[in-house]
Amino acid sequence: MDSTLQRAADLLAQARLPVIGGLFTDVNGAAAALALAQKLGGVVDHAASGGMSRAARVMRETGSTPASFGEVRNRADTVVVIGDGPRDRDPELLDRLFPAKGLPRPGDNKRELIVVGTGRGKTPSGIRATVIDGKQALPELVALLGAAVRETPFEIRDKALAKKILSAGKRLRESAFAVFVYDPVELEEPVLHTVLETVRLLVKTTRAATLALSAPGNGDGVNLCSTWTCGLPVRTSFAGEVPENNMWAYEAERLLKSGEADALVWIDALDGADAAPPTRAFRGIPSVVLSSKPVKAGRDDVVIEVGAAIADHDAAVYLPPIAGIGEVKATSADSSKPTVAEVLNKIGTLIDAKGAA
Amino acid sequence: MLIQLKGGRVIDPANNRDSVGDVYLENGRIVDAPDGREPDEVHDVSGKIVMAGAIDVHSHIAGTNVTLGRQLMPELPLIASAEGQPILPSPAAWGAYATGIRYAEMGYTTVIEPAMIPTHAIQSHKEMASIPIIDVAGLVILGNDDYTLNLLRTSNVKSDELKDYVAWTLSHSKALGLKVINAGGSEAFKFNARTFDLDEQVPEYGVTSRGIVEAMQQAIADLGVPHPPHVHTNNLGIAGNVDTAVATLEATQGNPIHLAHIQFYGYGKEGDKGFSSGAPRLMEAINKHKNATVDVGQVMFGQTITISGDVLRQFDGRRAANPKKWIINQADGNGTGVVPYNYKKKSFVNALQWAIGLEIFLLAEDPWRVLFSTDHPNGALFTRYPEIFHLLMDKDERSRWLDQLPEASRQVSGLAGISRELTFSELAVMTRAAPAKVLGLMDRGHLASGAVADVAVYTDQKNKTKMFAAADLVFKSGKLVVRKGNVVDVSWGRCYHVEAGFDSHIEKRVRSFYETYYGADPSWFGVTETVSDRPDRFATIRCAS
Repeated sequence: MDSTLQRAADLLAQARLPVIGGLFTDVNGAAAALALAQKLGGVVDHAASGGMSRAARVMRETGSTPASFGEVRNRADTVVVIGDGPRDRDPELLDRLFPAKGLPRPGDNKRELIVVGTGRGKTPSGIRATVIDGKQALPELVALLGAAVRETPFEIRDKALAKKILSAGKRLRESAFAVFVYDPVELEEPVLHTVLETVRLLVKTTRAATLALSAPGNGDGVNLCSTWTCGLPVRTSFAGEVPENNMWAYEAERLLKSGEADALVWIDALDGADAAPPTRAFRGIPSVVLSSKPVKAGRDDVVIEVGAAIADHDAAVYLPPIAGIGEVKATSADSSKPTVAEVLNKIGTLIDAKGAA
Repeated sequence: MLIQLKGGRVIDPANNRDSVGDVYLENGRIVDAPDGREPDEVHDVSGKIVMAGAIDVHSHIAGTNVTLGRQLMPELPLIASAEGQPILPSPAAWGAYATGIRYAEMGYTTVIEPAMIPTHAIQSHKEMASIPIIDVAGLVILGNDDYTLNLLRTSNVKSDELKDYVAWTLSHSKALGLKVINAGGSEAFKFNARTFDLDEQVPEYGVTSRGIVEAMQQAIADLGVPHPPHVHTNNLGIAGNVDTAVATLEATQGNPIHLAHIQFYGYGKEGDKGFSSGAPRLMEAINKHKNATVDVGQVMFGQTITISGDVLRQFDGRRAANPKKWIINQADGNGTGVVPYNYKKKSFVNALQWAIGLEIFLLAEDPWRVLFSTDHPNGALFTRYPEIFHLLMDKDERSRWLDQLPEASRQVSGLAGISRELTFSELAVMTRAAPAKVLGLMDRGHLASGAVADVAVYTDQKNKTKMFAAADLVFKSGKLVVRKGNVVDVSWGRCYHVEAGFDSHIEKRVRSFYETYYGADPSWFGVTETVSDRPDRFATIRCAS
């Protein structure tokens, strides 16, 4: 093990711009990855950061209006599900958002569901559901619903659909607590803005919010850790004097394709989730791979088997039901395998020793 | 190793000491002058001021809400720096690491994070554990959570259930004390209330804000938790709210209470603009209610960001967002509002807020009950403290600032008529001795034998901003960590918390509540020693009962 770690340290110490990617790991693993990136002057990115990065940029530009999972489940009288993403990500989502028993909630409305941009998927029994779907693309439907909420006139050919949208807009204005549920991966920035502006209009007179599905692979946990560590989310470079975030420039996929990155640390060590490696990974770019599953790395790459967070060791990860980071006890603790944090911290120490020598 | 700090002016008001002399440190503690032993290390501190390490009783340094602020406004340090505020122009200057470094450089050795969300305590502790050098503790928020409200609704609650629930929450989150933020107000906001007063009832639950605070005071008293309930009361930031603050004090009926960032409640509604200083009236009440302690929440001019679990107040405040972006997070319990704000010297209201804060400090009869804070970052970034110390200790400096303020603000504030200058001893009370006492951290805030060896040494000079911005020497637990204003050794501090006893039946009830209503397992947010990888991270403070 020691010689493997030394090889990893040697490989990384030589790199000009190493990228630490994947980051399917727990919060301790993320903290260690950030420390290593700071030491090396490298970049951190997460394998599921596409939606998160867009959401982060929207938030930085104009803010956000999130509600916790518990608030939506207990108190929303109108839940608007946008696109297929939410139910694809979590097939049980609607059952969990419409439980049999809830806390006291505002208003006298019966709870209702509005689905936008898809006819697929089942809806909970006993809950009135309106499906807003047609030939229009999802962004267009979201915009029309926003117009209906604002009571801005619009014209579409499908009169039945127009009627449904107008009625949904009225329902949202009359809701005591309307919540828009989406997966940021499915929505482009202008659509995220449209949803946010609709919520901001509604809150002038009533209560409204958004519920974004969390990113796979503990993306939100890693992103939060990055933010409290260096003030910025993932897709951040530590190559300059101050950390710099750029959702385009510091995407692992792009940095490997362009050849700007000359080393990769690939981390895929979370139970129940697999990180998709960048297209160019393990093809000539010197790599250090920390994985809890078998990997096809390059011949000269350094591969280190680590425990899978949650399965092999206790892990702090983002947990949607509490809308934050919680700690999950290991299902079958296997302490024979090191954690990502342990391995990265050791590599960091070896790099320090190299620098001191 | 025996360390001698030789010949400094030792300011230790807890032990009635203000005299030139020596201070000795050994094995991480302050020790008496040893008989006939030569120190291993001598620091000549003649001409310098020697104080205990400073303690911040209320500073938002970690947790979900703070990080939400970082997500909204990573550019905060860049804007603040460009305005001339003392902070590095890097997003990382607002991160956990920089927080510990900067506090230490100013001579701070203990900082309290006053708003830990029970279900997010793991994140708070992870963040706090990434802050170097300083010791920390968290205050956990209750009072807008449905479990508490449900207990108070029935009002025939089995006598000890609230007490058990509070104890369980304190233990489960490894908190030092309890925070109550606009009791019932955040819950009322969920039912679309936009204002919430002391005697208004929480929809569906019927209990009033006053009732919640009283119940929490009782629970904390019964449990013997050293720090009284740390209360952010109703009507923050509203003209005329001095009435609410005074009524809240009256309502305490002699039970201990700590009122947070009281400056934001020091507002009258006199004058042409209907906004005036309520500081004299507020201080009269605070001086009279000897059961109450407060921290001030001083405002300073410039860019900052306001982060608060008072979601109702922040929702209203969103209209004043500068830059124009805000977050309203509607979450379990309190939720959060994050609203960037730029306090302007030329603004009538902001200038008056600044003056009211200083009036409160200077009208305090008993500095042991009026503690220093800016409610970082809400009133000002903590890096501004030295400027505020300067204003409090130097009336000429105050006049220079006052001269630049709008005439209208000066007219409705009594600040110009106050000639008091705080002494070193008074400052040491407000920033060291009193916070330690109020928090129940009896091993610090003073320099008696046995105290933890947290010591700050400053060069006495007329310019107090310069003096307090960079300590000459700082010892943390006996280790030299700062020299000439720069960190020389990055050590790691400890986290203090209480263990309050409870009937274990409460665990079953809470589990059932979270499973039913949240689909969540409370063990997910239970904080254990392993939240940090340092084995001696946690230290327990005993409860009286």
